[in-house]
Amino acid sequence: MHLDVLDQELMCSGHVGCPGCGATIAMRFFLKALGEKTVMVLPACCWSVIAGPYPQSTLKIPVIHSAFETGGATASGVRAALDMRGDKDTTVVTWAGDGGTFDIGFQALSGAVERNEDFIYVCYDNEAYMNTGIQRSSSTPYGAWTTTTPGTDWKRLRKKNIVEALVAHRIPYAATANIAFPEDLVRKARKAKSIKGSKFLHIFASCPTGWRIPSEMSIKIARMAVQTNIFPLYEVEDGVRYTINYKPREYLVREYFKLQGRFRHLTDQDLDAIQEMVNEDWQLLLRKAGEHA
Amino acid sequence: MNREQGRAEALFMPRSFTTTESNLTGSWRYMRPRFEEKTAPCSTACPAGEDIPRIEMLTTQGAFREAWETILMENPFPAVCGRVCFHPCEGSCNRRGFDSAVAIHTMERFLADSALRNGFRSDLGKLQSWKERIAVVGAGPAGLAAASFLARLGYVVHVFESLPEPGGILRWGIPAYRLPPSALQHEIARLAGLGVEIRTDCRIDPSGLEALERDYDAVFLGCGFGKDRPLGIPGEREEGVEDGLAFLSRIRGGASPRLEGVSVVVGGGNSAVDVARTVVRLGGRAVIAYRRRRQDMPAFDEELQMALEEGIELQELLAPAGIERRDGKLAVTFRRMKISGEDADGRGRIVPDGEAKLEIEADRLFTAAGAGVAEDWHRPPQEETGLIKLSHSILVAPEGRPVRAYGGDATNDVQMVVTAVASGKQAALALDVLFREGPAAIRERLAACAVGPGPSLSMEIYTGGPRKLRTRHVVLPEEINTDYFAFEPRITQPRLLVEERSRSFSEIDLKISAGLAIREAGRCFNCGICNGCDNCYLFCPDVSIARGHEGEDRRINYDYCKGCGLCVVECPRNAMTLEGKS
Ligand SMILES: Cc1ncc(C[n+]2csc(CCOP(=O)(O)OP(=O)(O)O)c2C)c(N)n1
Ligand code: SF4
Ligand code: SF4
Ligand SMILES: [Mg+2]
Repeated sequence: MHLDVLDQELMCSGHVGCPGCGATIAMRFFLKALGEKTVMVLPACCWSVIAGPYPQSTLKIPVIHSAFETGGATASGVRAALDMRGDKDTTVVTWAGDGGTFDIGFQALSGAVERNEDFIYVCYDNEAYMNTGIQRSSSTPYGAWTTTTPGTDWKRLRKKNIVEALVAHRIPYAATANIAFPEDLVRKARKAKSIKGSKFLHIFASCPTGWRIPSEMSIKIARMAVQTNIFPLYEVEDGVRYTINYKPREYLVREYFKLQGRFRHLTDQDLDAIQEMVNEDWQLLLRKAGEHA
Repeated sequence: MNREQGRAEALFMPRSFTTTESNLTGSWRYMRPRFEEKTAPCSTACPAGEDIPRIEMLTTQGAFREAWETILMENPFPAVCGRVCFHPCEGSCNRRGFDSAVAIHTMERFLADSALRNGFRSDLGKLQSWKERIAVVGAGPAGLAAASFLARLGYVVHVFESLPEPGGILRWGIPAYRLPPSALQHEIARLAGLGVEIRTDCRIDPSGLEALERDYDAVFLGCGFGKDRPLGIPGEREEGVEDGLAFLSRIRGGASPRLEGVSVVVGGGNSAVDVARTVVRLGGRAVIAYRRRRQDMPAFDEELQMALEEGIELQELLAPAGIERRDGKLAVTFRRMKISGEDADGRGRIVPDGEAKLEIEADRLFTAAGAGVAEDWHRPPQEETGLIKLSHSILVAPEGRPVRAYGGDATNDVQMVVTAVASGKQAALALDVLFREGPAAIRERLAACAVGPGPSLSMEIYTGGPRKLRTRHVVLPEEINTDYFAFEPRITQPRLLVEERSRSFSEIDLKISAGLAIREAGRCFNCGICNGCDNCYLFCPDVSIARGHEGEDRRINYDYCKGCGLCVVECPRNAMTLEGKS
């Protein structure tokens, strides 16, 4: 694979991410695309730990650790401060988990993008509160085991469609990306940087520990989320112009589910029901993109 | 801190000032990835053991000279094999189960053509010089291959050929529409560059062989199957009955008779098809009569298919029974055969179909029902002191007496050009071990340079080149990460139209463009070898893989590698291995 990015590494070795951590891969690609003129706001999440305990930092850019629910607000403040100093080149990024985005940080995010603050909000999505021990979030998919949806009480609610929530704010740019598709991820990161106003990137990032998968399968499984239409790659400009970036071979969702311990309890019937939900969501997306199946 | 002070002073924010690089996370590791190149199935299936994944990789990069030289390393005749080889490599290609095999054969021909057009010179010269002198009897593919490898290994080599030009079957047997003379000439010319001396018009007989044994340290015999086996039926000596190989040789020698009327060709191999197609090109009609069925024919089906398009008739299940000369024509009687059960080789067993007979009136008949040695002494002995029987060749090295080696058709189970090359190569390597380390070391040293499980051998491995670092493991289709490959139709070999080809001896297979070649080579998975795709480097979550710049190898920094194994799974071509940490 050829990636047209910096040779320079803005993320160091020696971080404490789990072996095979998808969130670290997401960060590495993202920073290789954005470059060092970036300030990053990190609300509480796995990445707050990965970034290193004081006095260490694994990122070679300025990072501000912020409270869990304040990703949107802190970034707005940093942007305002940079503007006052006349610094227009530096990109402000909030890098938050799904819990920090879909749930607790949602109002700060909604407020910031409603004001169309000039920043990129990245949600790396590992589909649960991983840092504190795999609690379910509103991003946890239907069917998943977590420590708060244990045993037979597995989650029977659908994953919130966060991109659509952001699109509803009519922001200039919202897109999905996936660690198994680095070219696409890098292109979207660059595109987001080039646009003024609020940009939202939803990056699918597998979590070997929380998903109960072997570390070496981290990319493979992330790729399958796209190949099965569970996590389609698409982008939306100005809240209206949809582009689907990848037309998958449409593997069956069960291929994706059967590789992961967090879905081990699901029966064939459950999987059929999930396949239907996925099909329905995909049809909906096709319609929004003006492409009829 | 009271409120007043807090307002006056800047907010205190602790700032990190060092990186995480002092945490040696390698200590977490219990699995250990490493770079480990392996063996591609195509290269083990290639009797010459060509390094096909590397050839295709270099072709993709546009490095045609290097790709061509990579073929030459293992096979001195890419222009020949790129045309006439039966390409068993493609039958083992891992891409077959994905869409269709890589057109390895077409690539070989393309690279040989490019070498010719661009005047590429090979850097593969003599590796050293030894005092031993070796005589090669027969300048066919086996003898010339043996000569080429022996010369590169440092020996003085003289080749003796009875006919006026070297090439054997390549020069005198295979028609020009499959192998144009110019393609062969350039291949043979390269031998002179290695110091090989070819003496043509120099027939060796048993006493000549004794003389050679006095003058040389070893003699290699690669005399081939020069004569069609007689049919063993009445009337075989009638006028108008000719040995198919002798006929082909006559035509390749420049004869161009008009062959009006009907010619019957008896046989089912490539020679039979070549004879029939030659007849058509000389204005005649040809009927191939074969004892078995089409699906049992040893001839390449593609060649037969083209022959049928050119108007050749195929009559199946006909065994020749007798020939009579009547009114200036030949009356050929055949017994009709039928299938009953199966032979040991899985082909249908044929038995006479009662008393049913068929008579065909013909103007001439060609025998092409299998060939054998032209003279008995061309055949290797079965038992003799100092006899070493190898997979493709036989050495007779009795202590204190001259050494003799046999290769080519006489020692091969499959009589093909590339197996002849393989036998010449095997004999050359075996002779080198014999002279340098003695006969006891031969098997072990050859086994050590086998490609995968063998029996194909690699000159590069033998001479200690980088290919020796690859493991014997043959990459399986399920070890390819096909997520990195998209369906791509295989190139179709452009050909002369049937109307054009059946009237002339012009080469049928046409050249392909560099663009198409690069695209086709790009279909290759490069099984088991690193093509520098960077997946391992890019996906490493711990920034622990260094790409290696010009000439340097990729490296894993085990100080930090946590052993997640992602690189190994995401390497599309199994050039990495994950091993349990010891
Ligand atoms: C207000 C508040 N509540 C709870 C926490 C504890 N906490 C820290 S990280 C975290 C989970 C974060 O989950 P997510 O945003 O999905 O990121 P992940 O750890 O999964 O990467 C929680 C609950 C906190 N830091 N602040
Ligand atoms: S894909 Fe390439 S390397 Fe693999 S078997 Fe086929 S030709 Fe050989
Ligand atoms: S992933 Fe690519 S660069 Fe790495 S070893 Fe495999 S082929 Fe080579
Ligand atoms: Mg999370």
